[in-house]
Amino acid sequence: MERWKKGMFMLAIIFLFFMSNVTLSFGQDVIKIGVIGPMKFVQGIGHWNGATMAAEEINAKGGIQVGSKKMKVELVQADSNEFLSIPDATTAIERLITRDKVHYIVGGFRTEAVLAMQDIAMEHKKIFIGVGAAHDELCLRVARDYKTYKYWFRGSPFNSSFLGRTSFIHLGTVGAILKGSLNIPKVKVAITAEKAEWTEPMIKAAETAIPGMGMETVGIWRPSAVATDVTAELSAIQRSEAHIIFTIFSASVGIPFARQAGELKIPAVQVGINVEAQKDGFWQATRGMGNYVATMNTYARGVESNELTKAFVDTYVKRFGETPTYTADTYAAIIYGLAPTIEQAGTLDADKIVSLLEERVYKTPSGTVKYMKDAQGRHLHELTWGPGYLTALGVQWQDGELKGFWPNKWKVAPEAPEITYKGMVPYKIPPWMIEKYKK
Amino acid sequence: MDLILFYFRKLLTILKNEVLVLPYRIAVLLFFFILLFLPLWMEDPYLLRILTLTSIFAILAASWDLLSGFTGQMNFGHALFFGVGAYGAALLNKYAGIPPWGTIPLGALTAVLAGLIIGIPCLRLRGTYLALTTLAFPIILLGLVFALPGLTGGELGISGITRLAKSRITSYYIAVVVMLGLCTTMWKITDSKTGIIFHAIREDELAVRASGINTTRYKLLAFSLSGFFAGISGGLYAHFMRVAGPSTLEVSLSFQVVIWAVFGGIATIYGPVGGVFLLFPLMEVLRFWQDYRILMFACIVLFTLLYMPDGLFRWLREKTEKECPRCKIRNVAFRDACRICTAPLD
Repeated sequence: MERWKKGMFMLAIIFLFFMSNVTLSFGQDVIKIGVIGPMKFVQGIGHWNGATMAAEEINAKGGIQVGSKKMKVELVQADSNEFLSIPDATTAIERLITRDKVHYIVGGFRTEAVLAMQDIAMEHKKIFIGVGAAHDELCLRVARDYKTYKYWFRGSPFNSSFLGRTSFIHLGTVGAILKGSLNIPKVKVAITAEKAEWTEPMIKAAETAIPGMGMETVGIWRPSAVATDVTAELSAIQRSEAHIIFTIFSASVGIPFARQAGELKIPAVQVGINVEAQKDGFWQATRGMGNYVATMNTYARGVESNELTKAFVDTYVKRFGETPTYTADTYAAIIYGLAPTIEQAGTLDADKIVSLLEERVYKTPSGTVKYMKDAQGRHLHELTWGPGYLTALGVQWQDGELKGFWPNKWKVAPEAPEITYKGMVPYKIPPWMIEKYKK
Repeated sequence: MDLILFYFRKLLTILKNEVLVLPYRIAVLLFFFILLFLPLWMEDPYLLRILTLTSIFAILAASWDLLSGFTGQMNFGHALFFGVGAYGAALLNKYAGIPPWGTIPLGALTAVLAGLIIGIPCLRLRGTYLALTTLAFPIILLGLVFALPGLTGGELGISGITRLAKSRITSYYIAVVVMLGLCTTMWKITDSKTGIIFHAIREDELAVRASGINTTRYKLLAFSLSGFFAGISGGLYAHFMRVAGPSTLEVSLSFQVVIWAVFGGIATIYGPVGGVFLLFPLMEVLRFWQDYRILMFACIVLFTLLYMPDGLFRWLREKTEKECPRCKIRNVAFRDACRICTAPLD
């Protein structure tokens, strides 16, 4: 009898515990935002951290004004596990929509998974702001079938075509610096891309763009994306007498490549895309040999794209102990994208929010967001790239710190005004390169 | 009318004397019944999605069992058939505009072709060597997918293909009915003369050959049949997800299939199906403890296999049923005498 009573008592406590949670969730007027991403990986952690910051800031101010009432933001985390299983990602988003009853969704990273998740969100007419996948197809679907896909918006980064264009500008900028500082008549470029399909269009584009910038391609090297030793490639690059190594790396090869190039003091600068070099841990991972490596990035400590950047980056660093990556732009998607649009609409109705959001021009910590239309004037819900909008940054490791070097007095056209973000520093040429080429 | 009544009475007799006498058969009947009638009282799209995907993967796991469990041709690259079926269906739908009811069987035929292409060079291999060789094939195809991005969509895959059906319930019924139909067919195959030869090849191929049976033909038949069923599941998957991407060929999927089948119990057909129906939804249930989801999944699988090395459903069957030592008819475990020949059961 005693045991039975104890059992009943435990059951009652468990029941009360669950009921209290249910009451908290359903008893208040809240706006539920689903945050979906690979939560065991750095990308998903960025998604969640950014969204958490946004929700805390909004709730600290009392919530979002929806018509006559203030509604707080409640985040619902969903681990998409998309690197390992696409079906897992689709069930995660379905659960967010049908079980957790979220109003809006932010996140997603792997394109194949995001395409499948996009279909499910659109089927349920849920606004889904993609923060991570860069493929053009995601937004082209909006133009092709607006009625179905209008609930999709790109939050970050801008599409892969613009990513390529930005990295070529960085290449041109560094090429001009080398030419001017070291009196190199014709700058030679070694294209080095990891063996992955996404790098193919960039390699082709680089082969066309490099001669157009007055430089010469001396070869293409394709190390494995997970290579741990690239001395063979580096020796070949050294023999080719390249002045610039145009890197296209998203995987772990970015670390050994930078480290071994530093150890061997290869007289060529690295510029392009090296995702590993965007992370705070890069300096330690390369044991300082990654000095002078340059890459494209969204945020860097001390660099301000506009007046919103500093507050975001500083708070993020203070709160999570690292510089935000672009998947942390869930922050901007919620606080600058969704929240003001909901207030403007005065309702949570997705159709009304879509029609307002696609016309809005608003600032975020990484630049100004304006949604593009295609050549036929159809909505793409694609981010506008360029001066005054989103440009990303050119950053370089300089003595243990990631510094911004681009845009620094950047002119889109000869007659256009110069653009310089606050906190930019001059690009630094490695001393061993100066030693070799300075006459 | 009399004829209908005759068949109805016959059905009731079979149900009473053949089905309702064994827990395992009652469970299968309930399984059919629940799956077919579930949407009548439950229209939750989340649950229907999970069960649709579960049904699709159940076909895949059962098709692996047909090849590896019954014939003993250890295939560690079963994702190849699934991927070929998915890509085949997606390509036919996207470029030839063929609707899903046409693309799925045609995609499956492409998978049969893949089965033959693999089967022929693998005929001379056995055990570990065969497992390693089969493991290589989906990786080779993955390389081809990346080498021909214009056709296959590369890393992105082929997206925007026609939906399996307009509504979730219809998609569910298509997947469930196809799964029940195909798994019953596979079970019937294994219960036929061909199935006995498959068993025999696994146990002692030399003895089978000595009996004058062309084992090469039967092994190729097993590869083709398995490829066909796995191809159907790949086609269903592509049209349900509306994407056929590199993930359909990943090594992790090949291993996932082996885990499902071994967990349920190999060389049974019902074991792998049950394994998928337990483990796939289990991953969703474990979402409440997101951080330890994979760890808990692994622990559950490990502990089950530690105590039930022949698989969960084989173990359950052994615990609930007894075989008559005289007539070999199965009886419920609590019976003292055989229900047919009345011989004592120990």
